[in-house]
Amino acid sequence: MAERNVDELKKIRDVVSQDLLGGRIDLLLGWEKGHYWWQSRPLFAAREEDLEKLTWDSFCAVNLSRYLLEELKDHQKVGVLVKGCDSRAFNRLLQDNMVKREQVILYGLPCPGMLDYKLIVHYAEAEPVGIVEQNGQVVIKTAAGEKTADRQQLLMEKCRGCLYPDPVVYDQLLLEPQGVKEVEERFKSIEELESLSDEERYAYWEKELSRCLRCYACRQACPYCSCRECFVEQENPRWQGRAYQPSENFMFHLIRAYHGVGRCIDCGECQRACPVDIPLQELNRKLIKDINELYGHYEAGLDNETEPPLLTYRPDDPAAFSEK
Amino acid sequence: MPRTGVFICHCGTNIAGTVDIEKTVKASRSFPGVVHADDYRYLCSEMGQDIIKNAIKDNNLDRVVVGTCSPRMHEQTFRKAASEAGLNPYMVEVANIREHCSWVHRNMDEATPKAVALVRAAAAKAALNDPLEAPAIEVEKRALVIGGGIAGIQTALDIAEAGYVVDLVEREPSIGGRMAQLEKTFPTLDCSACILTPKMVEAAQHPNINLITYSEVEEVKGFVGQFDVKIRQKARSIDPVKCTGCGICYEKCPAKAPSEFEMGRAKRKAIYVPFPQAVPNIPVIDRENCLYFKKGRCQICAKECPPQAVDYEQQDEILERRYGVIVVATGFDQLDPSIYGEYGYGQHPDILTGLEFERLFNASGPTAGKVVRLSDGKPPKKVVFIQCVGSRDKARGMNYCSKICCMYTAKQALLLKEKLPDAKSYVFYIDVRTAGKGYEEFQRRAAEEYDVAYLRGQVGKIFPENDYLVVRGVDSLSGKTIEINADMVVLAAAAIARSDATELGRIVGINSDSYKFFNEAHPKLKPVETHTAGIFIAGACQAPKDIPDTVAQAGAAAVKAIGLLSKELLKGEACTAEVNQAECSGCLYCEAVCPYNAINPVEIEERYHGGTLQRTVAEVNPSLCQGCGSCTVICRSGSINLRGFTNEQILAEVDAICLQR
Amino acid sequence: MSTALNETKANWEPLIVAFCCTWCSYAGGDLAGTSRMSYPSNVKVIRVPCSGRMNPMFVLRAFQRGADGVLVAGCHPGDCHYTTGNYHGRRRLSAFKKLVEFAGFEPERFEVRWISSSEGDKFAEEMETITEKIKALGPNRKMRDARWQSVT
Repeated sequence: MAERNVDELKKIRDVVSQDLLGGRIDLLLGWEKGHYWWQSRPLFAAREEDLEKLTWDSFCAVNLSRYLLEELKDHQKVGVLVKGCDSRAFNRLLQDNMVKREQVILYGLPCPGMLDYKLIVHYAEAEPVGIVEQNGQVVIKTAAGEKTADRQQLLMEKCRGCLYPDPVVYDQLLLEPQGVKEVEERFKSIEELESLSDEERYAYWEKELSRCLRCYACRQACPYCSCRECFVEQENPRWQGRAYQPSENFMFHLIRAYHGVGRCIDCGECQRACPVDIPLQELNRKLIKDINELYGHYEAGLDNETEPPLLTYRPDDPAAFSEK
Repeated sequence: MPRTGVFICHCGTNIAGTVDIEKTVKASRSFPGVVHADDYRYLCSEMGQDIIKNAIKDNNLDRVVVGTCSPRMHEQTFRKAASEAGLNPYMVEVANIREHCSWVHRNMDEATPKAVALVRAAAAKAALNDPLEAPAIEVEKRALVIGGGIAGIQTALDIAEAGYVVDLVEREPSIGGRMAQLEKTFPTLDCSACILTPKMVEAAQHPNINLITYSEVEEVKGFVGQFDVKIRQKARSIDPVKCTGCGICYEKCPAKAPSEFEMGRAKRKAIYVPFPQAVPNIPVIDRENCLYFKKGRCQICAKECPPQAVDYEQQDEILERRYGVIVVATGFDQLDPSIYGEYGYGQHPDILTGLEFERLFNASGPTAGKVVRLSDGKPPKKVVFIQCVGSRDKARGMNYCSKICCMYTAKQALLLKEKLPDAKSYVFYIDVRTAGKGYEEFQRRAAEEYDVAYLRGQVGKIFPENDYLVVRGVDSLSGKTIEINADMVVLAAAAIARSDATELGRIVGINSDSYKFFNEAHPKLKPVETHTAGIFIAGACQAPKDIPDTVAQAGAAAVKAIGLLSKELLKGEACTAEVNQAECSGCLYCEAVCPYNAINPVEIEERYHGGTLQRTVAEVNPSLCQGCGSCTVICRSGSINLRGFTNEQILAEVDAICLQR
Repeated sequence: MSTALNETKANWEPLIVAFCCTWCSYAGGDLAGTSRMSYPSNVKVIRVPCSGRMNPMFVLRAFQRGADGVLVAGCHPGDCHYTTGNYHGRRRLSAFKKLVEFAGFEPERFEVRWISSSEGDKFAEEMETITEKIKALGPNRKMRDARWQSVT
């Protein structure tokens, strides 16, 4: 059991079932409960009865916009529940010409941030069997009893630095906006890494990346990875060697991060999806930080009018080389 | 498997003196795909080329690597030789073992392994070479010139004289442009009309020039050699064949409107020619101000017109034509100085811009050539000229120097003194810039012989008092405050890009600088070319310039246009980008970074689950692509590649070079 | 382990791959040659049409295959033959340089220079400088693919 707000779920269900029944959309992308109570996975609802499975709780971390890439091939009009990050992912897809705006109805869900099961376990100090949320507190139930924690302490890593909990694009806003959120220093861990020596930093990444299974879950979850054929799979040229060894792991992760220059919306889905907990968001955030410092502040996915930094230039741009 | 032949040139001792030729040839034989290796004293000679040609035939070679001087020297030579032996010229690769090796390293131990590495890299690249074909483009022998000012007229005349048909499109009812508005021209003080009018007439009468006035370009498609253009010919409401230009219609017309030609400082009729020397001398009806079009009554012009040329039913027409080249010469505008509140422009009739003041000297101008105050018709005694109004002003105007103001101000002050010997001129300036033949002398003459007072400094405020204008400024040389009770003030307003320049640039395919002036392809070496092959620019649409510079640039643009028109077929670039459309996801980032507008979206159909799916992908127009390869890097999936410098080839070179240190 | 990784600094010579744009820097290299300037043979040039053609993956591949340093050289900003190639290249390669440094590469391992076709002297100097800097750093082991054997 992990329900947060029954009223909210009812409101969402009312609106989307009306649209699905009325034929305004022929598919709804939402969430349903997974195998465990602490898992919410994507729901693909094409019929009214599918909507009974719809859920909206503190584990709906999966970014749904990413699924539009496939679903729009088979459906005329798709409704998507979007949190702040999902909405920016939608803008990302729009900017990359991956979706057509008129084919999608966005139901905006201002998001309080999603909870990290690992943190719940850590905090409960026993196996939790469920949670109840009230007034910013989370009551964790274990066999040994209950434990109450501050909701903020249990937030997923990716939600802590979230600057935009409210959807930035939507057709209908279904819940009350969260408003401006105070976030901890976004680039603190980046600065810490920057302060290390070259050798220490290389050792850090060599160690972290050594766990990479090259399962490409990070890529599959990512709203900027929209290529039809990823460079890692190409035969000609063979950019990416297949061997599991440090050199090839660096190749994959550096280039994947590089492909996000000016495009990464910092949703942290890569890191959430990673089964071996590689701090992938650090690579992306480093690029966000540097590009902002060099070429002016830019937040990907906020709108589709501002030109992404790599698609434009100024004659007097600075450079990061030792000769400017 | 490729069959590569490697040829190492001694270049006398230039290469052989530092590179062990025998070792290099021997090493070459071990490279993948190499089936033949040889050397010769001078491969670029007839004999040397024959060695390559014969080896191609004898050994059935399908690619050639020449280890020799820089490809910038003899790549063409060897490509030609290979093609004479039946090989596609692009199957040749050059390893630069002279400029980049034997000439910069001192001993054989150093230079030989490097030469081997460079030849290995060239062989690795060559193994991946594909035969390439430069696209051949048929050239439509017709030019379009947009803009009928002095730049457009000169360009059209030069092209027409070379024997090609030119369509000269002008938005206004008459050609002539800004130069037609001028009274006299610096530094010679020729009467502007006297030198311009004959050119206008010559253009109108030239058998190779079609004037298409009162018309605008609406669409440009295609590419160099074959631009398909739509031109909107606005309804003149006059039958140009019947009209004799007698002028009775506009004499009788009862409706008035501000004259564009007089910068709004005089009125014209609703049926009008913009100025007396207009070419063609055919009026137009300004339908917004015509009583008949507004209220359905009047028709006086139709009744009075002797040949019955007035046609109220006339409609806009769209001309569709194909052109080989396009020259854009759309000129400039004048900044509206009313953004400078301290100068009071627009609040007092005796505060004018330079171009408005110019019209006062003209016999057909608002004052019939009398230099008088527009407020009370009295000749001015003191005239203050203010320079750099909107130019060289980072904060509120343009950063650049408008280039023409120092000279025309000197001219106007001088002309004023000639017309009104009692008048006194004052010029507030930042610097006086007189670079140009005879310019400095001219300005000095104005200052020294015509009693023009040059005051280095800026004006802080202008306000009316009694029947004069108080001009309060600071002399920055002495630091003193100056106050002049002026009868008139002339503001040298900045020359700026046409307000719709960006829009035209978008239609034609030229990009603009941050001031909206059109960008030349190279600031030094390609001053009239644009990034789009076959489209040229001339005159002040590129940046402010005076008449001599404009005419020179117009001639240059014409020569470039003629150069293209004189060819039957254009050879395009062979090393162009190509899209793997099956892989392309259609994000079109490539389109955004292409400097040549060579990439466009295109819809393709794809099989999907038994049906078809439509999607957008990128397409390269090889006639426009110049082969820079910027698109290939922004493309994350490598779905766009550059022929001749493919991803595969460059990676192969990296691998080959790194095989040996 | 390949022998290259175990080489001592004493008998080790660095390998530096220089990607040069054909219009400016490659021509600058030609001028260095015609002027008989001298620079270390450690530098080997790959010709590309423009610094805007430089895909960061080419750089990483060079490191994988054993390059100790990589240089990209293009026309001075404002002088690009294709007008905007080096402007785009400057942004792309700046971001990339920051990233490889973040991954732990010494800043000297990857550099970008603007060398015009008239700067033969600058070309030779830059090749000299980068070779000295890389020599001081020693062999690059970062991202080096141990399976890639070098031939001597």
